[in-house]
Amino acid sequence: MIIAIVIGFLVLIGIFFYNSLIGKKNQVTNAFSAIDVMLKKRFDLIPNLVEVVKQYTNYEQGTLTKIVELRAKATSGNVSDAERAQIDTQLGSSINGLMLNVENYPDLKANTNFINLQTTWTESEEQIAAARRTYNSAVTDYNNAIMMFPGSLFAGMLNFRPETVLETAAEERKNISAKELFNN
Amino acid sequence: MQFDVKNNVALQNVLAAMEVERKKISAAQTKGYLGIGLGVLLLILGFVLGFPAAGVVALIALGLVGGIILYRIGDELHAYKDAYKQNVIGAALKFLDPSLTLKPYEGILAQEFVYSQLFTKNPDRYKTEDLVSGIAGKTGFYFAEVHAEYKTVHQTKNGTRTEWHDIFKGMIFVADFNKNFKGVTVIRPKDFGAALGAWFSSNLFSFGNKDLVKLENTDFDKAFVTYATDQVEARYILTPAMMERILNLHNSAKYAISLSFIESRMYIGFPLDRNYFEAPIFKTLLNPQLLDDDIAAIKFMYDIVQELDLNTRIWGEN
Repeated sequence: MIIAIVIGFLVLIGIFFYNSLIGKKNQVTNAFSAIDVMLKKRFDLIPNLVEVVKQYTNYEQGTLTKIVELRAKATSGNVSDAERAQIDTQLGSSINGLMLNVENYPDLKANTNFINLQTTWTESEEQIAAARRTYNSAVTDYNNAIMMFPGSLFAGMLNFRPETVLETAAEERKNISAKELFNN
Repeated sequence: MQFDVKNNVALQNVLAAMEVERKKISAAQTKGYLGIGLGVLLLILGFVLGFPAAGVVALIALGLVGGIILYRIGDELHAYKDAYKQNVIGAALKFLDPSLTLKPYEGILAQEFVYSQLFTKNPDRYKTEDLVSGIAGKTGFYFAEVHAEYKTVHQTKNGTRTEWHDIFKGMIFVADFNKNFKGVTVIRPKDFGAALGAWFSSNLFSFGNKDLVKLENTDFDKAFVTYATDQVEARYILTPAMMERILNLHNSAKYAISLSFIESRMYIGFPLDRNYFEAPIFKTLLNPQLLDDDIAAIKFMYDIVQELDLNTRIWGEN
């Protein structure tokens, strides 16, 4: 009788830990797809941004072409996650560079469409940063669970591997300063 | 620039006029309370010396006289307190920012208090007053004094006994937030109960529609427990810079603050142990430090907009 109770208890604990591990793993997947959603939102912004900037600037053609190419590459679908992450970083820095150069084009700076795009851009930048931080938090939670006892027992049996956290780009760690970005 | 009560001629004239009124009220109140006190004393003496009937008569007579005096000064007291809020506190508000207004009989409605989700319990008794509203830069805000209580009913030998407990006593501050968001994010101080709830929520199961948000700022996570309907949105609101600012605000407040973000608005609850903006009765109005505490409280609230950088509008909330 006692043995049956003990076994029952152990099975219950096992189910509980197994479910909690699966839950944490799913959270990591979820958080990763949240980054994708945010990135998609940013990609959608790019064509409009390029159109508006084109009308006002003659000197940024090189940057604009690069941005369009990068976007096409990222959305083409046949790139790996790692490549996409890299393209994304390049895209981010190109566009941020472009935003800084806006200083040289007073007409563009005053254009309402451009101002709207700028705010949406900043919004999406910070949403991406938030999604990345969420992903990192989910990964840390998951890694802790599979590395600590008794989660480590199940993780070994189920072949669960630790995930790596995303490196936050240096500019994301800084406070976003309106003045620095747009010189409003 | 400091609001200088002493050298403000207009305010000094108002205060001088009100001081006469205050003296009259304080004299009447002293007489009224003395009358009642004397009545009680004579009652006790009557019982001690063996003339209980005389004691009762003395109490009724003196109590009646005292009561009438207090009742008759009631209207004047009311008018005096109103005038103080309108003319004295009002002047201090206008000096700080012309957009600031004080409405003594308005406040934050009980529905809004519940809606803010700052506290888990719903109030059974709710009082609010002294609504101050204004605009600091681009950010509209308002705050008011709130006292919310819940009751517990105990069975005793003689029936039931009702006890009242504070949910919150202090100021509730509300401001337009500078980012768009759809969900709810609630930040509560990390006391024992909240820490236990957070442990359950992250290790066993979560309850309600909000999940625990573990943030990377360890100081922030030590001071607060954060729940949100959307993990990403919570981090969109609570950027690393915002967490630092909230921590600073928390450290400059006397008691642990609670915050919530709902429908592009932010709510902050500051627990306080005194009632602000009340006219003194037994202390002179001509004391240069008269308004120091009240002004400090208003300034603290007004500066939150700066402190939390709510005027930076680069995220599509204009």
